[in-house]
Amino acid sequence: MKELRCLSATGQLGHGILRDAFARGVANKPDYIGADMGSTDIGPFYLGAGETESETEMIRRDLALVLQAGRKLGVPLVIGSAGSAGARPHLERTLDVLFEVARRHRLSFRLAVIRADVGKDYLLGKLRAGKVRPCGPVPDLTPERIARAERMVGQMGMEPFMKALDGGAEVVVAGRSCDAAVFAALPVWKGYDAGLAMHLAKIVECASFATEPGGRDAIMGYLRDDHFIIESMNPRLRATPYSVAAHSLYEQPDPFEVVEPGGRLDLSRSRFEALDERRTRVSGSRWEPSPTYTVKIEGVEKTGHRVISIGAVRCPIAVGQIKDICRRVGDLTASILEGDIDPADYRLKFRTYGVDGAMGEGERERNALPIEVAVITDVVGKSEQIAKSVCSVARYYLLHFFYDGILATAGNVAVPFVPCDIPAGPAYEFSVYHLVEVDDPLELFPIEYLEVREGAAHA
Amino acid sequence: MPRLREMVKVLRSKNAGPFALTFDILFKDESLFRRALASGAFAPAALAALLDFPTDRIRVVPFPPAWAIKVTVPRRHSSGSFDDTDVFGCQQHAPLLDLEIA
Repeated sequence: MKELRCLSATGQLGHGILRDAFARGVANKPDYIGADMGSTDIGPFYLGAGETESETEMIRRDLALVLQAGRKLGVPLVIGSAGSAGARPHLERTLDVLFEVARRHRLSFRLAVIRADVGKDYLLGKLRAGKVRPCGPVPDLTPERIARAERMVGQMGMEPFMKALDGGAEVVVAGRSCDAAVFAALPVWKGYDAGLAMHLAKIVECASFATEPGGRDAIMGYLRDDHFIIESMNPRLRATPYSVAAHSLYEQPDPFEVVEPGGRLDLSRSRFEALDERRTRVSGSRWEPSPTYTVKIEGVEKTGHRVISIGAVRCPIAVGQIKDICRRVGDLTASILEGDIDPADYRLKFRTYGVDGAMGEGERERNALPIEVAVITDVVGKSEQIAKSVCSVARYYLLHFFYDGILATAGNVAVPFVPCDIPAGPAYEFSVYHLVEVDDPLELFPIEYLEVREGAAHA
Repeated sequence: MPRLREMVKVLRSKNAGPFALTFDILFKDESLFRRALASGAFAPAALAALLDFPTDRIRVVPFPPAWAIKVTVPRRHSSGSFDDTDVFGCQQHAPLLDLEIA
């Protein structure tokens, strides 16, 4: 088969595509442009709150670049994990911006929108049917946990994208997607080897991360019958056998295999060879379909509202016993609030930067005395009012706690600004990270087609 | 005995999903990679004390194509939960820097 050119625009669309490398990629006549907007890495907040992690203004800028390029070349544009978390509000926000860009630049195309939201009844049915299992070291899924979920999405595999391409889509905007599916779908749909397509996809989805010294510039994968070639579109970045192989390690529990919805990518026999100083040839990667098709479900639950207060402790007499002071102020706060605020309605902790801020109880170095300690009084309460009340008491008594040997009796904390209590919005945590056996790879991912005519969408 | 930080070109920690943490240790060359593997320092039992995890929760996978060793452990607290300290998991590698390699 003819070589297929797969252009990945950037590591995460919405954070500023690097123009030069992208323009070089477009000049190299790709057969499609792919862009991933999401990451498993951004924590539970965005999925819970329905907000995008990148700013609308930057999404607009990046979408304008890829959309104009795709239309000019007449090749498909495939966007996955729209709006970072890929649930309904994120997809809607992304589409609003997409239509605005299409209007401004008078672009017309057939659009496929693929949703990835998971309903509670659906998951409950699967749980009762014994079709749910944890994905890694995750707490068991229970009906209660499903009921408490704020929002859930499924990570779609290649099939919904392929179906959208069957439907004649020129632009695909998908909700939560497996990163690799965004880039592997079109080659597999065209009949290229799934193992090579999937491995190529896994590498290019992070843009030029798999190069030396590394970057977020656009990258091209040239897919052929029995191998593919990786080349950064930034001439200063080198895709070496080492850098490309090393990428298999990134954000994966096992470098030899990548588990995807319909099977696994086996890298144990992959070969990485230098084509020249900047390009690497990869072969031998194999796709093994699995007998059951599983979709990974991500869900979060709301734990309350967060209010924080920030300050620095400089007195060496206090710094020397800071953990003890924090523990005692926590106890004092609880005793003051007793009878007024139910202890079950809030959680309070003092984060001590300079002591164990980064590693918490995992910190082993406990002997060195820092010059100063930043303390974040961190409260998550059932309501913002409760969190504010608890935070105000806790940071007040941290300021005025009479610890052993105190000399500086006017206050223990250098406070950088007032007001001291800062509302930090709703708080969430991951509660669902499970694999669900599906009967049909498309069952969770409905596709809707729209004809966009200079920005106006028609069903 | 050399310390790990002298033998590597990359030593990083990162989330592998919201419930697991993974360490990538990429050596400067193949002989250093082989030496580290042979030293026994990366046996799960040896890492258990350093990382403060039970031996059976530590998974060690050598990856020769990149002269790398991968170590994966469950997160103590899921990414972004109240007791978590590192949403991206990218500052948990420090204890490995001074690991002595025989």
